Parts: sequence; structure tokens; C-alpha cells
Amino acid sequence: MAVAGVPKPWFGATLKEWVFTTDHKKIGVMYGMTSIIFFLIAGLSALGIRLELFQPGLQYVDEDHYNQLLTLHGVIMQFWWAVGVWGSFGNFLLPLMIGARDVAFPRLNALSYWLFFAASVLALLTLLPGSHIRMMWTGYPPFSLNDNAGPVAFYALVIHLLGAASLASAINLVVTNLSMRAPGITFKKMNLFLHSFLAMNVIQILGVPALAGAVTMLLLDKYFNTAFFDPTRGGDPVLYQNIFWFYSHPVVYVMILPAFGLISEMIATFSRREIFGRTSMIFAIWGIAILGFMVWIHHMFTSGVPDWIRILFSYTTVLIGVPTGIKIFNWIGTLYKGSIRLTTPMLYTLSAIFMFLIGGLTGIPLGLPAFDIGVHDSHFVVAHFHYVLGMALTLAVLGGFHYWFPKLTGKMYSEFWGKVGLVLIMIGSNLFYFLQFIVGLEGMPRRYADYPAIESWVVLHHWQTIGAFILAIGIGIVFLNLFLSAKFGKKTSDNPWESPSLEWLIPSPPPPHNFDKIPHMPEDWDPYNYEWLKKHKQLTH
Amino acid sequence: MRRTGLLALLMAGFSFAQPVAEPAHLWDYMYYIWLFISVVIYLVVFIPGAYFLIKYRYKKGFNEEAQHVKESPALEVLWTIIPVIIVIYLATQSFAFYKTQRTAPANSFEIKVTAFMWGWQFQYPNGKQVIAFFNMFEDPETKSYLPLDKIPDTAKAYIPAGVPIKVLLTSQDVIHSFYVQPAKATEDAVPGRINHMWFKINQPGEYWVFCREYCGTKHSKMAAVLKVVPKEEFEKWYGQPMDSANKVSLNKSF
Repeated sequence: MAVAGVPKPWFGATLKEWVFTTDHKKIGVMYGMTSIIFFLIAGLSALGIRLELFQPGLQYVDEDHYNQLLTLHGVIMQFWWAVGVWGSFGNFLLPLMIGARDVAFPRLNALSYWLFFAASVLALLTLLPGSHIRMMWTGYPPFSLNDNAGPVAFYALVIHLLGAASLASAINLVVTNLSMRAPGITFKKMNLFLHSFLAMNVIQILGVPALAGAVTMLLLDKYFNTAFFDPTRGGDPVLYQNIFWFYSHPVVYVMILPAFGLISEMIATFSRREIFGRTSMIFAIWGIAILGFMVWIHHMFTSGVPDWIRILFSYTTVLIGVPTGIKIFNWIGTLYKGSIRLTTPMLYTLSAIFMFLIGGLTGIPLGLPAFDIGVHDSHFVVAHFHYVLGMALTLAVLGGFHYWFPKLTGKMYSEFWGKVGLVLIMIGSNLFYFLQFIVGLEGMPRRYADYPAIESWVVLHHWQTIGAFILAIGIGIVFLNLFLSAKFGKKTSDNPWESPSLEWLIPSPPPPHNFDKIPHMPEDWDPYNYEWLKKHKQLTH
Repeated sequence: MRRTGLLALLMAGFSFAQPVAEPAHLWDYMYYIWLFISVVIYLVVFIPGAYFLIKYRYKKGFNEEAQHVKESPALEVLWTIIPVIIVIYLATQSFAFYKTQRTAPANSFEIKVTAFMWGWQFQYPNGKQVIAFFNMFEDPETKSYLPLDKIPDTAKAYIPAGVPIKVLLTSQDVIHSFYVQPAKATEDAVPGRINHMWFKINQPGEYWVFCREYCGTKHSKMAAVLKVVPKEEFEKWYGQPMDSANKVSLNKSF
């Protein structure tokens, strides 16, 4: 135990304290470490996939192992990285940003993490021979009811554990935000990180039960002889797709909305001015969250749903481009007449916007059935979501890791290696994913272990694999830099970015109870009021 | 392949000659309309962004402070309304094309395609059938794809050139997806349902069909080849009795 009165930082804890902790900062760090480990596992499986596609024919893995790698890559990248990593940012930063000492239900929070941990263990168990799952993360029946798909029970239980963890965490963070904001932090003075996390958690609460329902029905069909999806006994396989995508489309906004929040924080801090069009940003967040529930049929444009439904959903789908566009325009507007500091996190942020722009523009035609029928389930789609979820999200997350690194450790990372990593990531990923668009336009179907030796496909796959390896080296450098800097980095000040956002007004790393006294934020304070900081260097109670 | 790389992709222009396949020409129009709009939007965002980054960069003794900028509701309304108009236009244009892409011409030749793990059965109106099984497309030794000219003709589905083909699609086991590469059209083969699509290939030749819905081990070998031949040649093939290999009924052989 720490001696009373001597603040003990979050990292100076024994293993026992880590395991039994209810401290939101420690839980945030555990989420982060789990996400990073799984991100690297999924990244390695992606390299295996790319190596196999380097040339036509089967050289390194057979089809079954290829399909297993692809399933592993998809499931882990979605649930452990793109969703799981927000458990780390949300838990660590949200209470600090609203002036709270912890989340509303600290024990529930610990339970969330340990359910997530249990799901992680179960996911790793599927690597054992005989437990390989080969049905892709979508798990469409009737294929998933077939023995070729592997043990569906594993998948269903992983989804249930993750779902329970997400639901508990989402409710926890929503309640924390709504009921524990310190006096003076009104709804209007919440920063965009808080707004986007609020919207993201509301989507989780509304959507997760649908996915849980879908996999439960799958489980019942496979092991308990029901026939929800079995067409030979009157079921309908397309029903699964409806329930599945009712959650699994909105979940992409669960992944990307927090990334938008991070981008907004960083771009405002390093332009030294308030986000342009702050009110419209909040409307855009909620517009995306609500519209996100009305577009899922675009995943099923070729499934045989009636044509008029396809047309209806094509309108709702492309309309999502409007709030998304507003966000991009506002970020560019934020640069206008700013005082722009091109630090490492800022460069990651700008790269994320650049990648998101390409990903967003290539998403629009996928909502148009006239275009979609030519590229449905092709590599074009794969490239599209790797631009948005793969790269824009990862760059925002990596930017966030750098940005809040001094907050977490009290130390500074190496700017040089952070930038080297970014350059490699940008070269590698654009080489990889831009060529993937082209091979997709030429018709290459996704989830193919092998492809005919069509001349242009072979060339395009060669370069994609080279790009993937450059990308991997870049990612490696970034994490190496962060971990080494956590150990050997130079000490830095409490608020190196000179941000008035509340988490920066307390010491770095934060003391165990965050705030000795719950702060009362004055009238003239605002998370984006950079002039306020000059008058009030320290937080006054 | 018509487009062989990045340069060719960017250089490819409108072609108003008879398209190689239909309804691929409508897909092409949609593609170019979208590409044009996207490039414009991209530049509209990128150029001011890059300009601001250079102009408003922090320098010691110069531009140390951000300037106060008033919110501009007029600008925000503008960049909400214009995207709304653009996306509504795109969706409506797609609607118009899609109607043609989905409606088979009245004089279509109807064939039935049944997907199974892992192959395709093509059934013609007179009872003739072609079965494309995955092992007909892979080299028995290396297990890699055979080139088009090494694939036996009995595994190829004959299609008359210039005749619209209406495909009635279903599946025997799991969901597959029928993608006719030259026609740039895809439709799922769902067990218990009959989906439809159509295409017309004007230029004789051999074209790939791929399965585009993941269906297990041999998903990536679940191909078929359409041998598009002039009408007279097709009639000749159509009138011939079937090869014994293809006579066996599907359920018995697999």
C-alpha cells in the first residue's frame, strides 16, 4: 500500500494490485496492452495472407489454414483492435476529462475487462489444432452450420463474452459521462472526444443485443436442432444477414466515431484554436450514429432482397456521406488561421484525415447498387474498409498513443522514430491498399487463397505484398519507440501540449485519485480555449 | 484484361463503341461519374488543406498565435447542401442504371445455374447441362489455377455471343455468389431461393466466372469459364448430345 499522502503513480503497482484493481487508469492500460498484443497477432496473420497472395498458386499455407488466418485477422482486428482499443482510451481518459475520480461503477468496469480477457483466452484457444474456425468473421449460415466452418460454439461464446463486456462498459461510460461531470463542464463544454464516445456507447447499447441474438440463433441451429437459418427445414439464411448487419454495420461507427474524437482533439490542440463548426460537429456525430442504423442492407445488395429495398437503402447509405463530409470540412476549416505545430501526433492526425478522405470517397460507390454489383465482395471493398478502418482508425489510434503518451507515463517519446514510423506506414499502406482498389476493380474476389495467373493481377499482388511488409516495419518501429520511450524516455512537463482540456491540468502521470478535490471549472474555461491557459497555468479549485 | 494497371486505369476513357459485355457499360458509366466527382471533391479538400498547412504553420516570432475566426454558418450550410445534392444525384443515377442492370431483355435466353460446394451446374432449356467442378480448374500436381487454354472444353459453359442471357440462380448447400467478370455483375446463389440476373457478352472469347461469397475450403477455386461463341457455333454445340461425363445427375455424382 502507498503511504498516505505520497501519491503513487498508476504503474507503481504489484501484480496483485493490477489483477484486483478497480482503478479506471489501470483498467485502461490493461485494455490497451491486450489490444496491442492482439493487433500484432492479427497483423502477423495478415502478413501470412499477403505472403500467400504474393503469387498465384498455393506456396506457404493450404486453403484451410489460409481461411483460418483470414477469419482470425478479421475477428481480431474488428473486436480487439478497432473496438477493444477504445476500451483503453475511454477508460483512461474519460474520467480525467470530466473531472471524476473514477467511472460510475468501478467494479463493473473491472468485470468488463475480465470478460474481455476471457474472450481473449477463448480466441487464442481456437489456434489449437481441431479448433480452427474458418467461417470468416461474418459466419454466414448455412455455411457456418457446415462442419467445414469449424466449431461455431467458440465463435458464439467469444461474441457473447465480448458483447457482455461491451455492454457493461458502454453503460458504465454513458452513466459516468451523464452523471459525474464536474461542475462547470456543461454539455456544451464537453470536448468532441466525450461527445463521440457518448454516441459510440449509445450505438453499442442499441446494437450489441442484435449480434448476440444472431449468434445465439446460429448456436441453436448448429447444436440444438432448431431451423432459423436452415433452408431445408423452412429457415431463411438471409434472415441471419439482416440481424447480423443490423449490428455489424453500426459497429463500424463504434470503431470510427471515437477515432473522429481523437482527430478532433489533436487537430484543435496543434492548431491552437477551437474546432471549426463545433456545433455542427456534434450534430454530425449524432447524425452518423442514427443514420448508421438505417443502411445495413448495402451489405446485402446481391443477397436477393427485393430491388426496391436495395434502392431505398442506397439513398440512406450515401446520405451518411453528408455528416462525414461535414466533419472533414470542419477539420480543414480548423487549420485555417491556426498556428499549426507539426508534431508527431499532428502528423498522424493529418495522415488519418487524408486516408479517411480516400476511404470515404471510395465508400460512396459501394452504396450505389449500379456500381456495387460489379465489385461486391471484391478486393475493392477490402481496400475501402482498410482505408477507413484499417488506416484512418489505426493512424488516429497511434496518434492518440503519442498524444497522450506524456499523460500516461510522464515521459516523452522520440519524435524522430515516431515520424520515421509514420513515413513507412504511409508509403506501405498506400502502396498496398491503393493497388488493392485496382485489383478489386478488375474483379478479384475477396477471401481467395489462390487466383488465376491473370497478368495484371500477379503484378498488383506482388506490389501489395511488398507494401504490406513496409507497413509492418513501420508499425513495428512505432510500437518499439513507444515501449522503449516508456522505459528510457526523457521526463516531460505535466502539460507538454499546453492544452486546457481537463486531463492536462493535473500532474502527469495522474495521481491515484486523479483530483484531490473535484474541480469547479470557471465560466471562462473551455477545453479549446487556449488563451485561458495563459492566465491559469495550474488547476485551481 | 482491358485495364492492366494504374496508368491505364487513369487513362481509360469513355468508349461508345459496342461494349464487350452488358450491362458492364452501365457499370463503367457509373464508375466514371463517381471517379470524376471524387477527384473534384478530393482536390477541393486537399488543396485548401495543404495550403493552410503551409501558410499557417507555427514559426518562432511569426504566427505564434492562432487568429480568432468567426464561425461561418453560411459556409457550413453550403457544405451541407452541396454534398446532399451530389449524393442524391448519385443515388438517382444509380437507380436509373440499376433498373436496366436488373431487368433482363424480353428476348433473353434462360439458363439455370445451381451452385454447390464447390462448383457450378449450368442447365440449358433443352436439358443440356455443363458442370464446372473446382478440380477441373486446378493443376492436379501443383493445385494452382490452370490457364484458360488448358481447361477442357467440356468444363466450359457455352454462351451465344450477342444474346442476352437470363440466369436463374440457386444453391444446393450454402450461399455462393455468381460473378460474371466481363459483365461486371454479381448475384448471390442462396439455397431455398431463386435469384435472377442477366448479362450479354458481345465479343466471342473465354471469360471467367468466380464465386464471390465465401463458401469453404475450395472457395478460391470455385470458378467457371464461359465460352462465348458466335450464334451458329452455339447452335451446333447446343444440338449435340451431352458428353457422358456430364450426363450423371448432380445429386448422384457429388
